[in-house]
Amino acid sequence: MTQRISKYQRFKMMNPVIQFFKFIYLSIKIMLIVAGGHGGTRKVN
Amino acid sequence: MAKIVILGAGISGHVAATHLRRKLSKEHEVVVVSPNSNYQWIPSNIWVGIGRMKSEKILFPLAPLYKKKNIEFKQSKAISFFPEGDKNENKPYVLSEYVLGDNKGQQEKITYDYLINATGPKLNFEATEGLIPGENKAYSVCTYTHADHAWEGLKALIEEMKAGKKAKILIGTGHAKSTCQGAAFEYILNVEQELCRHNVRDMAEVTWIANEHKLGDFGMDGMLLSYGGMTMKSSEMVEMIFEDRDIKWIIGAGVNKIEDGLAHYETLEGDYKTESYDFAMLIPAFSGHGFKAYDKNENDITEKLFKGFMLVDADYTPKPYEEWSVKDWPETYQNPTYKNIFAPGIAFAPPHAISKPRKSRNGTDISPAPPRTGMPSGITAKLVADNIIDTIKNGKESLHHKGSMGNMGAACIASAGYGLTKGSGVSITTFPIVPDYEKYPKTQGRQLGKTFGEIGLAGHWLKLALHYAFIYKAKMRPFWWLIPE
Repeated sequence: MTQRISKYQRFKMMNPVIQFFKFIYLSIKIMLIVAGGHGGTRKVN
Repeated sequence: MAKIVILGAGISGHVAATHLRRKLSKEHEVVVVSPNSNYQWIPSNIWVGIGRMKSEKILFPLAPLYKKKNIEFKQSKAISFFPEGDKNENKPYVLSEYVLGDNKGQQEKITYDYLINATGPKLNFEATEGLIPGENKAYSVCTYTHADHAWEGLKALIEEMKAGKKAKILIGTGHAKSTCQGAAFEYILNVEQELCRHNVRDMAEVTWIANEHKLGDFGMDGMLLSYGGMTMKSSEMVEMIFEDRDIKWIIGAGVNKIEDGLAHYETLEGDYKTESYDFAMLIPAFSGHGFKAYDKNENDITEKLFKGFMLVDADYTPKPYEEWSVKDWPETYQNPTYKNIFAPGIAFAPPHAISKPRKSRNGTDISPAPPRTGMPSGITAKLVADNIIDTIKNGKESLHHKGSMGNMGAACIASAGYGLTKGSGVSITTFPIVPDYEKYPKTQGRQLGKTFGEIGLAGHWLKLALHYAFIYKAKMRPFWWLIPE
């Protein structure tokens, strides 16, 4: 087993307070990307 | 008055039916034809497969909802398509067969003005010899019943491990052309966490097997993503997670035969190998349903409607990988021959794969088919519904709403373990889904910033929030339409 995620990184990943703010941030960011619109790729002359 | 028939009541079919019903007046008929009696929120099957969620939590019966909302529901399966009608029936119709109740086995011509084919994929287990869910110690999580069986199998193995048995667990793709690596990725991480929770992790060797050329390909040619202030390849991110969790991997592997506890596979290098296991979850190949189509004189016109899946407004000209363009991908999901037929979600035939096709030294194709997850399925179904609504209201064809997978973002919130405080998730968004190398030539066809990854507890909460939000939306509870697809 190779520890690729340090203890500090793991603490940040699993800390409920930090992750609560991350949850809000991710929810908004994902909403903006996914619900931010979609369209075609071909130009219509 | 128009009659819109929707084949299938999965994410795509249900989204189309609900939007059509909400926006069209009662004089227009909305008919859903599906052999399944329940709606299921497929992304949560992962949690059913590890015993952390009951299958009843991810499904609900369709008939009472549709009755309440004035959507006609026929529990029957489509057999063949007659887009011009026949000698006795002037209107186009779908021949279907009832699968339940007094009408079981009875066939019906279901006429339509507009047809939405949202039948999704056939889970083609037969394409891999011996790959049968629940047999040969191999399971699937593609449906809630499969996921229930998978948990029974896993639970029994965990009990054996508690009694001292060393076990090998194999999770990944069960065919050289499988797709949906994301679901298998979620499952392997969840299984690994459950083994830790049951204190048997040290008794198990957990191995990932996939047809991907590199880890993190996901059938999307991999991606370059923003991660914690850095730019990282998805292969590096997945490798980091697997190494950290002591998960071994076999890639470039086309599984071709399953025997009791044995997976036989061919590698891209052309070697034929075998991996033994005590529990396996392998995603099968997806295929079309093998529908036939006939013209008015009952001549076979299947090639006008289907190429495995349904033909739509994509560019199907065969071309090498280097010439693939984002413009090849469909925008309106309309059949080019019969303009009143649409195929959103997984039912449309993709113009080609997204990942670079690869062959083994023996000439076997070993590379992922293109994935089409819940999010694009919902978006494409809604835009098809909107175009049909506009066409009905304007009295002339309207294809104003467009949504190519080359100009659409998607989020993949991959569960990496269940638990309100111990859970984890890998949140990945990608924009666009199909890489656009003209627009983003230096970042592997995708926009950095909009293509990012995050690992942590918040990811689990997000996936759980999406589970409840989308089931609320599917049940058409108050203001359901405010929740985006």
